[in-house]
This record gives sequence, structure tokens and C-alpha cells, in this order.
Amino acid sequence: MLEFNDVTKIFNSDLLKKPFIALDKVSFEIKPGEVIGFLGANGAGKTTSIKMAMDFIRPSSGQISYHADLGRDKVDAFKRIGYLPERPFFYPHITGREFCHYMGSLSEVSRKSIIEQIQYWGPRLKIDFALDRVIKSYSKGMLQRIGFLATLLHRPKLIILDEPLSGLDPIGRKELKDIITQVNKKGVTVFFSSHIISDVEEVCSEVIFLEKGKLVFNGEVQKIINEHLKMESIVRYVKEGKVLTHKVADNEKRNFIESLIKNNFELVSVTPEKPTLEEIFYKVKSS
Amino acid sequence: MMYLNKIAIIAYYTFREIIKSRVLLNTLILGLVLLFTTYVALSFTYGSPERVTLDFGMGMLSLSSVGIAIFMGVGLLSKEIESRTAYMIISRPVKRSAFILGKLLGLGSILTLNIFILSSFTLFLYFFVGGEFQPLILWTILFTILESLLVLFIVALFSLLAGQAISVIMTIGLYVSGHAIHSAKEALADKSIVLNTLLEAYHYILPGFYKLNIKDFLLYQKELPYMYLLNIFTYGVIYSVALILLSVIIFERKNLD
Ligand SMILES: Nc1ncnc2c1ncn2[C@@H]1O[C@H](COP(=O)(O)OP(=O)(O)O)[C@@H](O)[C@H]1O
Ligand SMILES: [Mg+2]
Repeated sequence: MLEFNDVTKIFNSDLLKKPFIALDKVSFEIKPGEVIGFLGANGAGKTTSIKMAMDFIRPSSGQISYHADLGRDKVDAFKRIGYLPERPFFYPHITGREFCHYMGSLSEVSRKSIIEQIQYWGPRLKIDFALDRVIKSYSKGMLQRIGFLATLLHRPKLIILDEPLSGLDPIGRKELKDIITQVNKKGVTVFFSSHIISDVEEVCSEVIFLEKGKLVFNGEVQKIINEHLKMESIVRYVKEGKVLTHKVADNEKRNFIESLIKNNFELVSVTPEKPTLEEIFYKVKSS
Repeated sequence: MMYLNKIAIIAYYTFREIIKSRVLLNTLILGLVLLFTTYVALSFTYGSPERVTLDFGMGMLSLSSVGIAIFMGVGLLSKEIESRTAYMIISRPVKRSAFILGKLLGLGSILTLNIFILSSFTLFLYFFVGGEFQPLILWTILFTILESLLVLFIVALFSLLAGQAISVIMTIGLYVSGHAIHSAKEALADKSIVLNTLLEAYHYILPGFYKLNIKDFLLYQKELPYMYLLNIFTYGVIYSVALILLSVIIFERKNLD
């Protein structure tokens, strides 16, 4: 849908300081249907990349192209993209509902359809109660929710979310992750950035990993996890009325289980130990 | 068609946002204060009360709308970029030029409305003290609108290039010199050809605000030829269009960081 081709961004903010390379020849493609996690520590270049994808700033070199499934040209493609900025801040004196009508009408959505979308997503995003309050009274989490609602109004094909989970409480994070999954099931491609690896692991099918402006990994989440499976298993069994767990290397698994059975302990489960994405990235980085 | 539609949407919500932020309430209060002080001033002055009312009213009208134009205009675009509300609009199928035109149209309508409110206060008092209608009153109001729009376009353009404080200072500088240039020309006329030519060239490059000031003609009930008024009007419009065009060109290339 959207493709980065050798995109470099250099900031020359200060004449005296030397130019800063925020993004260094980054290439990747957003494929339709996926939930793509855009990972990287603070300052890795995620927001910079997203700003270029949205044409707020322009690359120093390289190209960003919108494929035909999004639109003929940039303005046409933007009819099918929903975007949520990193620190949402909207017009303070209008109400949440007015804001939605403003955004929806700019995206060429009919009034009727905007009302329908608000009715559908408002309760799901738990923001319906505040729609008639002015936005300056909203909390950070509420801004995030109304912003999310606005990104869905025009039934986009692709949504680009910059750190959508930051600033939310644990319940809010869970709810938003569920909605991301829901939206994706309706056929919307989701591209979201995060510096928290476990969030990405939970909801994403693909991951793009940036470090200090360089692309270090790009691929399917399940595939990398399987590639980095540890040769270990967790065995759970009952001993004297208590459930115990024990980690064994795969080559000793058989012996361990046989000894359990021999000693008449009840076996509960044997599961292969999966590494977390976090562990994999640390391993990849240090090697 | 869609393009114009989007300009209208942005202008509408800009207008709404400003109305809801209650700036216009200040205008209303200012109007009442103006009415009151003029009324008080009338009892202290010897001149004809109609003239005093017009002089005072139109003067305040022009100052207050230029003030609003400067202080609201300087943040109109730059605050949107800074607080990233512009992202919400530019990320929609909206051309950058439509964004800027919508914003300017929105605040421009506020300025116009403000002038209508304040001038109706003044005219109310003017007719109350026995003033008579003259066509030049309408021209003065029109030129006041044009003046405040010009100031708005100037400050908005500066705010795309420099910080807010510098933009305000430069705009005030241009406004003051654009008025003073006329007296300078009269005082220095015939003293030096070079100086004269320079002053003559001024209004082609920098805005000649003095042209829009026809209050003296109004006060002393002089006539101004229709063609002359139309010329000034055209000058203001062309100057405005040039300023807007320049802002659009700069904004199209700007990194919205
Ligand atoms: N306008 C700018 N001028 C100079 N440096 C910038 C600018 N914008 C971002 N940077 C730098 O680029 C790097 C990447 O920033 P960013 O893309 O915001 O990171 P992330 O979103 O991954 O946390 C940071 O080191 C940041 O300081
Ligand atoms: Mg960021």
C-alpha cells in the first residue's frame, strides 16, 4: 500500500552543529491486511518516518510511494488513510462531536455516515459519554480515543497510528489493542509505532524494527519467534499436592519426564519455551 | 468544487473556534465602552458632535480591528503548526493551499464581523446626534475591512518565516510606516528628486496603508471621485492577493515539524 525506498532524512537544525541523520536508507513496504508494528526506542526515527509518510516533512533522499490500492495521487490516497499523531492535540473550543464532523467532512464523508460511524465507534472506544463536551476538558486518554475515532470515520483502508498506546492506563491499553485487532478483522491495514515490544508482539503479525535511524529487522512476528525458539521446555507437575514447574533443555526432556513418571508424580503439561520478541532483539543486537 | 468546499469547511470551523473562544465578546464590550466614552467626550468638545463621533468611532474601529488582526493572525498558522492541529487537517485529502485559504477566510470573516459590530455602534450614535448619511461612510468601513485584512495577511506571512514576537513587531512597523509615509511625502516634496522617487516607489513594494485612510475626507464632507476610490480598492485587493499567494508558496514548501 505504502512503500519506503532508501529513505534518508537529515536534519540541519543548527548551522554550527553537524547534520543529524535521523533516518538512514530505510526501505520497507506496508502490505495490505496486516497489523504492522513499527518498533524502536525513543529517538529511533519512528515519528520522523511517519511524518514523511504523511508528507508533513520531506525526505532528504529516497522515495515514498503510495500504491494504486490507496489512490491515484497523494491527495487521493489520503482519502483512504487514517492518521493519529503522537501527542494528539485538537481544537480546544469545539466539542468532540463537532471535531468528528469537521474531520469527517474534510474526508468527504456524508453527514449521515459520520453520525453512523460516531454511533458505532463511540461506545466501543468508550468516548460516547464525552462527545458533547469541549475538547479542552478532555484527558490525555480521552484525546487518544477521540483521535482514534476520527481516524476511523472515513472507513480508511490503512491507519497509521503514532504511539497510540502511550499515555493510556493498563485497561485502556488492553481496550485499544482489542479495537486494533477488531478493526483489522474488518479489513483495515494497521501500521502503528511503539517503543514497547510486548505490545507489538501481542497484536502484530509483522514487525519493522528501527534502531538509531537504521532498519534492523523487518518480517513476520511468528516467523522470527520460531526462528529463535529456544531448545528448552517448561514441565509442570504435581508433587505433594503442589504444582511445580521445571525448565529443561530439550535433550534432557525425555529423561526428566521418565523420572517423573517413575516416581509417580502427576504430569500437568510440557510446553516449549518461546522467547519474547524483546529477548530476540537483544540477541540480534548483541550478535 | 471539492477544493472550494474544503476551504469553506476549514473557514467555518476556524470561525466557530474563534467565536467559541469568546474574543468577539471583548469586541462587544469594547463597543459599549466606545459608545460611552464618545458620548462623554461629546460634552467636552466644541466641534460638531457628528464629526467628533465619526472621528472617534472610526479611529477606534480601525485600531481595534488592526489589533485583533495582528494578535490573532500571528498565531493563526504558526500555532496550528506548533501544536500540530495542522496535522489533523493536512492528513486528510486537503491541499495545503486549501488549508491556508480556509484559515485566512475564517479569521477574515471574524474581522469583518467585528468591524460590522463596532461600526454599527458608531453609526447608531452618529445618527442619534443628528448626523446625516454620506456614501463615504460605507467606503470608510470597506477600507477599514481591507486594511485589517491586509494586516492579517502580512502578519500571517511573517509568522511562516519568523517567530511570533518578530512577526508582530515587523507588522506593526509596516503598519506605522505605511501610514507615516504619506506625511513624509508631503513634508519632503520637491526637496529632493531621489527622495521623492524613493517614497513614490514605497507603495509599490511595501503596503501603502495611508491610501486606505479616507477619514479626513469623510469628516470634512469632501467628495472623492468614484474612480479614485475604486483604484484604492483595487490596489488593496491586488496587494492582498500577492500576500496570500506568497504565503501559499512558502507553506507548500514548509516542513511542518
Ligand atoms: N526537526 C528536527 N530537528 C532536529 N532533529 C530532529 C527533528 N525531529 C526529530 N529529530 C531527531 O530525530 C531523531 C528521531 O526522532 P523521532 O522520529 O521523533 O523518534 P521516535 O519517534 O522513534 O521516538 C531524534 O534523535 C530527534 O531528536
Ligand atoms: Mg515518536
